[in-house]
Amino acid sequence: MAGYIGNLALFFSLIFNVFLIFSLIKGIRNNNFKNSKTINFFNNSIFFLLLIAFLTLVYCFIVSDFSNVAVYQNSHTTKPLIYKISGAWGNHEGSMVLFILILSLFSFVFARAKVSEKLKFYTVFFQAILILIFLIFLILTSNPFDQIDPKPLQGLGLNPILQDPLLAIHPPFLYFGYVGFSLVFSFALAGLVTNNFDKSWSKIANFWIILPWSLLTIGIGLGSFWAYYELGWGGYWFWDPVENASLMPWLAATALIHSNIVTFKKDKLHSWTALLSLFTFIMSLLGTFLVRSGVLNSVHAFANDPYRGVYILSTILFITFFSLVIFIIKSPKRSLYGQYFFFQKDNFILINNCFLIFFLSVVLVGTVYPIILDAITGKSISVGPIYYHTILAPFLFVFLFFMSHGPLLSWNKEDKFLQIKNLKIFFPISIVISSVIIFWFFDYKDIILILGLLFSVYLIVSVIFDWISQKKLSLNFGRLVSHLGFGTLIFAIFINAYLSKEINAAMKVGDEIKIQEFIIKFKSINKIKKENYEEVFGNFLVTHKQKQVELTPSIRKYDQPVQFTSETSIKTNFIVDYYFAINLSEFEKDKIMVRFYYKPLMFWIWLSILLIACGGFYQTFRLRNEQ
Amino acid sequence: MFFSKSTKKRLKIFSLIAIAVSIIFFFIYNNLQKNVVYFYAPQEIKNLTDIPSNKIRIGGLVKEGSIKKNNNTYVFIITDLKNEIFVEYNGLLPNLFIEGKSAVAEGVLKDKKYFIASTILAKHDENYMPPEVANSLKKNKLNR
Repeated sequence: MAGYIGNLALFFSLIFNVFLIFSLIKGIRNNNFKNSKTINFFNNSIFFLLLIAFLTLVYCFIVSDFSNVAVYQNSHTTKPLIYKISGAWGNHEGSMVLFILILSLFSFVFARAKVSEKLKFYTVFFQAILILIFLIFLILTSNPFDQIDPKPLQGLGLNPILQDPLLAIHPPFLYFGYVGFSLVFSFALAGLVTNNFDKSWSKIANFWIILPWSLLTIGIGLGSFWAYYELGWGGYWFWDPVENASLMPWLAATALIHSNIVTFKKDKLHSWTALLSLFTFIMSLLGTFLVRSGVLNSVHAFANDPYRGVYILSTILFITFFSLVIFIIKSPKRSLYGQYFFFQKDNFILINNCFLIFFLSVVLVGTVYPIILDAITGKSISVGPIYYHTILAPFLFVFLFFMSHGPLLSWNKEDKFLQIKNLKIFFPISIVISSVIIFWFFDYKDIILILGLLFSVYLIVSVIFDWISQKKLSLNFGRLVSHLGFGTLIFAIFINAYLSKEINAAMKVGDEIKIQEFIIKFKSINKIKKENYEEVFGNFLVTHKQKQVELTPSIRKYDQPVQFTSETSIKTNFIVDYYFAINLSEFEKDKIMVRFYYKPLMFWIWLSILLIACGGFYQTFRLRNEQ
Repeated sequence: MFFSKSTKKRLKIFSLIAIAVSIIFFFIYNNLQKNVVYFYAPQEIKNLTDIPSNKIRIGGLVKEGSIKKNNNTYVFIITDLKNEIFVEYNGLLPNLFIEGKSAVAEGVLKDKKYFIASTILAKHDENYMPPEVANSLKKNKLNR
């Protein structure tokens, strides 16, 4: 029954979408942008119909309606309610419904923004075309309301490592970010087609870039946090293609935020901003293709149907091709170049963009090259973290240096001497701070570590200096918070990378081992039975420099599907994380494999990501109030 | 001259950008070549003319009954049903490392029969098989 409602809702949203596109074309042909009533009616109905379809799917998951294929394959009656709900978007079909729902939500909200009728018309038009493309994809290749007859009695269950509260909210955040960039994409196309790509365009666009960017930042952070505590390997970023897929649109959007400021403030860089607006969403689509098509193997690869991959890939090529054609034909007006100075804000933003695009190409090449090589020669390779680290680190230092000075420059005049004065203040302070840290905590010196600490401290110092010298704080508050977050993030990453410790051992109850400066005692073991799994806890006491920490990692045996997972136990004092994970071993029945990690400043990594996002959120609220 | 002043200027800027971009891509590509890890099936190792000195990955099924333990060192056999390779690994085996199931190891080859692994790659779930392993197994089953 619910399946019919869902199918009907999807079907009607498709019909309405076709109507919407036709009435938009009619309006554009007659050059009549006044008649927005019908347009709004269709636009709103599409959103509500898709919302109904989505809620129907969630309902199917809640009541465990196994006549629905998606529910049958991804759910189980014994699963807790929250995972039944999150199961709705924890699979390919459901996540595509969410994808389209967000596309339409952005169109729905945008239709209420204060924008000229003509621009709005075109933006809704391009957005409707995107919705059409993905609706057809959904209905043809991955209908979430496909039925099975006869109805199975029980579902196959959700992959246990996905049964985690964080993963219930990670995909929506990520999707709001990814899909949110579609609006900037449509808006840029609208601006190009109507020859309205100018200052006023970028003023409105600002909000629609920073909002999804902030959400994406949170989404990436949540994914990373999940990988940290769920996978049990002590790491938080593995340069896995799936992680890179989310980083690429983030880098593109970060470049876009900055170039858009130049377009707004100085009426320059129109073409570049337009190109980045298109490119950011194309990167999101590429990310969707990488994780959804099955070319990569990960928890995200739900789709094993090669047609889906082919469809998404051809969609990306189609969208890229046509948006670039529009860009080339309707290239925005030439910028008026005034006098050029090196020490000027717009020039530093241009440098920032070059760096970000370089970082993006490094990640892009590292992610796509193995796939292309495999497709052409059949050779399988993997690109390790070393590639990214060696290539990114040296450029990161220079990037941090420019990032420290850029915001302090003026838009209109060159102030070289002021910068040299700043440099004379920042360098001594950051050299003192970073050398104190290095001599205090590190027995060995590594040039990468020294430079990493020096330049991240340099950025933090410059941001604090900038913060203090603000006349009106609210004006630049968002930027200051985000930049500070980036500085502390790099600082924490470097400290963490060089001070982390790892201990591996096989232990049985009562054992006590002493490795490095840690004493680990295996106190006891106990078992509990939960709704859909059994759990075995180990109680460990870690002594480190007279401090004692009790940790209780566990192993879960899930019933549906039968699978073992290690649950980590993490205690943090906000400076250092003590991290414990245990494994069963097939070969030593009496012993348990333990992994202990000492992870400094992990909390600060999460806090920094939050800061970066909060800067963005603050800015969006400020922009919203301005409009 | 053939070109006007502004054309010359544009040509200059364009060639500068082209040079910069090609240097950057050469740099990226060079670094990539140094840091990629190739995957080999045991059968492919048999056919190698010389032993690669850098890190590689091998994968296949863990042969049943082949795992031997000596202190903290495990030795087991990885097979693709055509060729077998001994793998030595010093460390902890992941939860999902089970005899008869697929596994991927990263490390260096000592000779064509013996592999010293530094990492055993973790898998996400029990039924998952690395695509490289699945491919090589499929090929060998068809050829038999």
